Amino acid sequence: MIRTEEMLLNVGPQHPSTHGVFRLVLKIDGEIIVEATPVIGYLHRGTEKLAENLQYTQIIPYTDRMDYISAMTNNYVICHAVETMMGIQVPERAEYLRVLAMELNRVASHLLWWGTYILDFGATSPLLYAFRERELIINLLNELSGARITFNYMRVGGVKWDAPEGWIEKVADFVPYMREQLKGYHDLVTGNEIFLNRTKGIGKYTKEDALNYSLSGPNLRCTGIKWDLRKDEPYSIYDRFDFNVVTREDGDAYSRYECRLAEIEESLKIIEQAAEQFPKDGETMAKVPKIIKVPKGEGFVRIEASRGEIGCYIASDGKKEPYRMKFRRPSFYNLQILPKLLKGENISNLIAILGAVDIVLGEVDG
Amino acid sequence: MLGWTKGLAYTLKNLTREKVTYDYPNEPLPLPDRFRGVQKFYPEKCIVCNQCANICPTDCIQLTGKKHPDPAKKGKIIDTYDINFEICILCDLCTEVCPTEAIVMTNNFELADYSRDELFKNLEWLDENDENIRKVNKA
Repeated sequence: MIRTEEMLLNVGPQHPSTHGVFRLVLKIDGEIIVEATPVIGYLHRGTEKLAENLQYTQIIPYTDRMDYISAMTNNYVICHAVETMMGIQVPERAEYLRVLAMELNRVASHLLWWGTYILDFGATSPLLYAFRERELIINLLNELSGARITFNYMRVGGVKWDAPEGWIEKVADFVPYMREQLKGYHDLVTGNEIFLNRTKGIGKYTKEDALNYSLSGPNLRCTGIKWDLRKDEPYSIYDRFDFNVVTREDGDAYSRYECRLAEIEESLKIIEQAAEQFPKDGETMAKVPKIIKVPKGEGFVRIEASRGEIGCYIASDGKKEPYRMKFRRPSFYNLQILPKLLKGENISNLIAILGAVDIVLGEVDG
Repeated sequence: MLGWTKGLAYTLKNLTREKVTYDYPNEPLPLPDRFRGVQKFYPEKCIVCNQCANICPTDCIQLTGKKHPDPAKKGKIIDTYDINFEICILCDLCTEVCPTEAIVMTNNFELADYSRDELFKNLEWLDENDENIRKVNKA
């Protein structure tokens, strides 16, 4: 008789493939994972609690640091929440700038995911290609907002800066270039046999599971559920653009991969249309009181960030600081399905499954 | 065609592409005018209104004022002005609220130092930080 024994294995918190300070306590039987317990909180900064002592404008730079890969959507969600509660009408030009910034950021975010996900499998060159294109987007956003990652670009009622001269043209030029590069990405990775073997049928879940675990974003759409807040609950000016909601049917790591790459194409469509329709002149800031006081009451808004639905709840007692603020952070919710996915899997699939969830630890820990 | 050969073709195609990296420490990195680097402070412009210290999300700005030396003139002038770059997040809100543009951003981003004490920048240091100053400060 062979005697087997369970072993406890610690993955992280300093592990390159966890993309941050994320720790997994694994109980393994040979190579099979019996139980996986995620341990989070290493990057917890208490954004929600800090926000209670800050004015609304002061909270915006803190939201940059939650999902630091796509900070524009985070900027937007808090501004959108305050604007909705105060009933502020944002000028058209500002809305276009916001959409352009958010979609560019979504492309950059998916590119970073693409590069690092393939890197997890041991392929180094896709990361370099992804970063080459991401750098162009970061440069564009740097010209617009003055920062490369923590943009702090949006304000309640509009945006901080108007587009610099020639910026819209540069964005419009970027779209065909990126489309060309995307083809190369598919050549480089999508058809690769090793990659296909490592992702197809891995980390599979059903529609019901996805809904029960309140997954959102590509993690939800990979199971075939057509749900994208940009289409289903249009905010900002998303109803003016023609784009598709990308879905795949299989619910495995490969369909999540396909979803994200196809979403880049859809985002490029939006960017192209927004750059075309961009108003020639107009204000970039609505008339907003100098000290922003949200009327007494509660409010909740949600938008489609690159990782899923990000929501912002504000309970206000009429002061210049919120009484309570809560962010529904998609990475945190998406991560919850991980122990279920890992159970019974081979340990060599661990990183492929974790990577496909696409978490940002700043957002998981808040 | 086999999947991996396609990938190899893409790699080979990229061999002849122009390089995209910078020789960074040897060559300065080109940055846009709006870039948010370490602040430059103009003591003569400051009216000690305290708005920058109030808006700062991390409370990293400490300032004190003193009476104007010329008794005929009203108001205060700046006495000390410190920014703690251990906690400054370069969010740009201080320059946004400054009514006289006494504090502006520069393109200097190299903040690494050998000790934590050196990250406390005082009025003199911030006044002398006058390279690559942002040209257009307000939208």
